Amino acid sequence: MFATRRLLNEIKALGKELPENLHLIQTSELNKLYVDMKVLNNPIYSPEDIYRLQFIIGDEYPFESPQVQFILSRDDNITKIPIHPHIYSNGHICLDILGDKWSPVQNILSTSLSIHSMLCNNDRNERPPDDENYISHAPSNPKKSSFYYHDDNV
Amino acid sequence: MKLTIKRWHAVTSWYWDILNDELCGICRVSFDGTCPVCKYPGDECPLVIGECQHAFHMHCILKWLETDTSKGLCPMCRQAFKMNGGSDILTNSAAENDNNQNNNLGENTAEIVMER
Repeated sequence: MFATRRLLNEIKALGKELPENLHLIQTSELNKLYVDMKVLNNPIYSPEDIYRLQFIIGDEYPFESPQVQFILSRDDNITKIPIHPHIYSNGHICLDILGDKWSPVQNILSTSLSIHSMLCNNDRNERPPDDENYISHAPSNPKKSSFYYHDDNV
Repeated sequence: MKLTIKRWHAVTSWYWDILNDELCGICRVSFDGTCPVCKYPGDECPLVIGECQHAFHMHCILKWLETDTSKGLCPMCRQAFKMNGGSDILTNSAAENDNNQNNNLGENTAEIVMER
């Protein structure tokens, strides 16, 4: 109830609030949505690539963080998992606000903007150091991973 | 000319005495509205202001503080959320006359008839 009302509230506003390079896509399920983003000002990322951020909103939202990760779209080959020292090649993101630094005043917009700015400001063309090991053991829900924060300066 | 008031119609409106923020950051509903759980705005769904001056619907902030993730911190500034002795729970709304601007909620009307 709480989650649905707040989610509807957010979705209504998101169309107007999202900046140009971010685009909301709703699915047939209310609690699952995508934010497609482009990064135009960083040579690490091709301006043609689309990075699709998936949000799955649980019943306890916003008291619990949503499940957020990058995914590949099935029907095109333009979507990619963006390269970043905190983003694993399976799309899982190591970011404190998605875990124990979550706050209920965060929302889909603020989360999307944080992740978008992570990409805009990235100057390292690399995956996390334990990428290969992580993706071979990772649970499908990134919230079940306890991330080790390698480097808070990135 | 002498006028005699035979009847007058008073309208009062109310709003919480908080001006800086119009939405509760947790439920994103206006402070003058209710949290998503309540039906009627006002004293049934009061506001709370922490020592850090951040305000929320009382039901919203209590629900957050009950979670483990909250660690007792204010969702806005991540300082410990403290309410001192209930004095910061607003239970009284500011009541004003009908020359009050933009209030859409909780309008009450009272009718007083004066006749000689």
